[in-house]
Amino acid sequence: MRRKFLPYLLLIPTYLVIVIFIYLPAYDSFYSSFFKVSVFGNRKIFVGFQNYLSLFKDKDYLGAVSFTLLYTATTVVLSIFLSFFLALLLDQKVPGSRIYRTLIFAPYAVSHAVAGALWGFLLNPVVGHVNYLMRIFFGIQTQWLTTRPFAAYSLIFASIWKTLPFNIIFYLAALQSISSDVIEASIIDGANSWTRVWKILFPLVSPITFYLVIMSIISSTFQSFAIIDVMTKGGPGGYTTNMIYKLFMDGFRFQKTGLASAENVVLFAAMMIVTIIYFVYGQRRVHYQ
Amino acid sequence: MKKVTVLLLILMTVVSFAKVKIQFWHAMGGWRIEVIQNMVNEFMKLNPEVEVEVQYVGSYEEILAKTVAAVQAGTPPHVVQLNEISTQKMVDSGVIVPVQDLIDKDPSFDVGLFLPQVLNYYRIGGKLYSMPWNSSTPLLYYNKTLFREVGLDPDNPPKTYTELIDACRKLMKKDDKGNVIRTGITWPLYAWFFEEYMALQNQALVDNNNGRTAKATKVVFNNQAALNFLNLWNTLTKEGLMINTKRADWTAARQLFISQTVGMLISSTSDVALLITESTKQGFELGTAFLPLPDGAARGGVVIGGGSLWIIKQKNQAEIEAAWKLVKYLAEPGPQITWHQATGYFPIRVDAIQKLQVQGYYKDNVHHLTAILQLLTSVQNYNTNGAIIGAFPEVRDAIETAVEKMISGVLTPKQALDEAEKNANKAIKEYF
Repeated sequence: MRRKFLPYLLLIPTYLVIVIFIYLPAYDSFYSSFFKVSVFGNRKIFVGFQNYLSLFKDKDYLGAVSFTLLYTATTVVLSIFLSFFLALLLDQKVPGSRIYRTLIFAPYAVSHAVAGALWGFLLNPVVGHVNYLMRIFFGIQTQWLTTRPFAAYSLIFASIWKTLPFNIIFYLAALQSISSDVIEASIIDGANSWTRVWKILFPLVSPITFYLVIMSIISSTFQSFAIIDVMTKGGPGGYTTNMIYKLFMDGFRFQKTGLASAENVVLFAAMMIVTIIYFVYGQRRVHYQ
Repeated sequence: MKKVTVLLLILMTVVSFAKVKIQFWHAMGGWRIEVIQNMVNEFMKLNPEVEVEVQYVGSYEEILAKTVAAVQAGTPPHVVQLNEISTQKMVDSGVIVPVQDLIDKDPSFDVGLFLPQVLNYYRIGGKLYSMPWNSSTPLLYYNKTLFREVGLDPDNPPKTYTELIDACRKLMKKDDKGNVIRTGITWPLYAWFFEEYMALQNQALVDNNNGRTAKATKVVFNNQAALNFLNLWNTLTKEGLMINTKRADWTAARQLFISQTVGMLISSTSDVALLITESTKQGFELGTAFLPLPDGAARGGVVIGGGSLWIIKQKNQAEIEAAWKLVKYLAEPGPQITWHQATGYFPIRVDAIQKLQVQGYYKDNVHHLTAILQLLTSVQNYNTNGAIIGAFPEVRDAIETAVEKMISGVLTPKQALDEAEKNANKAIKEYF
C-alpha cells in the first residue's frame, strides 16, 4: 500500500501545476465559449452555440482560417526541406563547418518578437536595408509590410528564418547518428547522391521529420503571434491575420471573451485532429532505427 | 495611566506611518515615463500619507486588458489612464467610481475652470466619469525648409485638399532611375484621423447625436464628408504622394517626417515637443498649421483625443480617497503646465493657459499655441464633442481594415466606406 502511495504523492506537484495552469483554463475557456461575456466579466448570458455559429458565418474569421492554412503549410514544408538540405551541407567535413553551424544557429537564440522587430527594420520601405539594396541593384522599391502579397511573403520568410535553426540542429544530429556502413554500402551498390539522399538518408531520419513537422505546425500556428503583431499587425486589411492573431484581437483588444473562447476551442480541436492524424498515419510510415 | 499613554503614542505613530498605497497605471512611454514619475514624486512630497506606485504598463489597449484581468483577479489598480474611446466601455463596466461623485463631495475642487471643449467630450449626460488629463488633437506639421526649397510659401501652408495635393506634388522628388526619394505627406494609418475629418466637416460619426443623447445604434459616416477624406487618402496613395504606415504606427510616421522623407505630417499635438527637438537636431525649420479642409467645406472643429484618468472601485474607502487626491493633483494647473510643456498635450484648464499666456510662453512657443487655437476655434456641438460608442475599438478596426484594403487597391473609396459601415454596425450591435 505504502509503495503505491508514494509515486502518486511525488506526482502531485507536477499535476497541481498542470491542472492549475492548463486543465482549469482549458475547461474555463470551453465553458466561456457558450456565453456572451461583458468586458469585465461581471455579466454573462448563455448563448449555446451562437459564438461558434457567428464565427463560421464571419468572413474575416474564415479568411483567418485560410491564411492560417496557407501560412502554416508554406512555412512548415519550406522549413523542413530547407533545413534538411542545409543540414546535409553542414554535415560535410569541410574546414570551418563548426563556425557555419554556430552562425546558422544564431536566429534560434532571438525571441519571436525580436525576430519580428529585426525584419521589420530590415524591410522598412524607407530606411530598411532590403529596399536600399533592391534600389541599388534592381532599381525597385517595395512596400514589404503594407501591401499584398508582400506582407505574407515577408511573414513567411521571417518565420522560416526563425524556425530553420531548430530544425537544422535536429537533422544534423540525426544525420550524424547514421552509421557510415549504410552510406558506404550504398556507394558500393552504385547509388548516386540523389538516390542516396532521398532513398536512404531521408527515410532514415524520418522519425526526426515526424517530430519536426509536429513542432513546426504547433509553432507556426501558436507562436506566430509575436512575429505578426510586430511585423504586420495582421494587415493590410486583415490579409495576414491568422487564427491566433484573430483570437488575440477579439479576446484582448475587443474584450469579447466568449467569442475568443470559442476560437480557442476551435484551435484546440484543429490541433487535436492534426496530432491524431499524424500519430495514426505518420507512425506507420516512419522508420525507427 | 502612563502605560496607556505610551501605548496610545505607539499606536498613533504606527498609524501615522501606515501609508495608503495606491497604484497608478499609465500608457505614456519614452521620456514621458520620467515626467510622470517626477510629477507623482512631487505629489507624494505634498501628501506623505499616500504612497503611489507608478507603472508604465504599455499601450492604452494593454492597460485596458490588464485592468480587466486585475479586476477579475480581485486586485484592481487604483488609477488607470485609458484612451478616450474606452469611455463608454468604462461607464458601462460597473467597476469604476465616477469622478463626478467625488467632485460633488469635494468643495475644494472647481471643475468650472476646465476647458469646455474637454469637458464636453468626457461628460455624458452631464456627468463626468473620468478626469480629463492628456488631451490632444491632430495637427499639420510641415517642413518650412523643404517648402522654401521647392518654391512653396513657408508661411502659407495648405488650407484645402487641392492646395495639399499641389504641395505634395511639388515636394515629391525622384532620383535619376525614377524612384521616389522624397514625397509629400504621411500620417499614421489610424481611424482617429477619419473621425477628426468627420468632425472637421461638422458631421457625426454615429446616430443619436454621436451617441450622446442615447446609446449609438449605428454609424452614420457613409456620406460625402467621409468620401472626401477617403478620396484624398486614395489619390495621395495612388500618386505616390503619401507614404502609408502600418496600422497605428506613429513612430514610423514621425520618422518619415524627421528624416525629411516627407515634407508634411499629420499627427497628434502630443508630438509637438518631440518634433521641435528633432527638427532642430536635423536642421530644418518646423511649421505647424490647422488641418486642411476639403475644398469649400464649412469648418466644424476638431475632437479631442488622448486619455483620461479613471478611478477603479476598491474595497478600502481610504484608497479611493488617496486615488482622488492623486487624480485631483494631476489636474491642477502646476502639473498641467509641466505636462503641456514636456509633451504638447493641452493644459486642460483655462487658468493654466492664462498663466502661460501672461508669462509670454506662447510668444516663444508658437507651435504649442497652434495646437490650442485649433481647439478653441472649433465649433462646439455634438459632432465636434466626439462620438461615444461602446464598441469603439471595433469601429476603428473596421475603418482601418477598410482603408488598408482601399490603399492596397482591393476596394474603391466608396466600397471601403460601405464595408467599414457594415462591419462597424455589426460591432455596435454585438456590443455587450
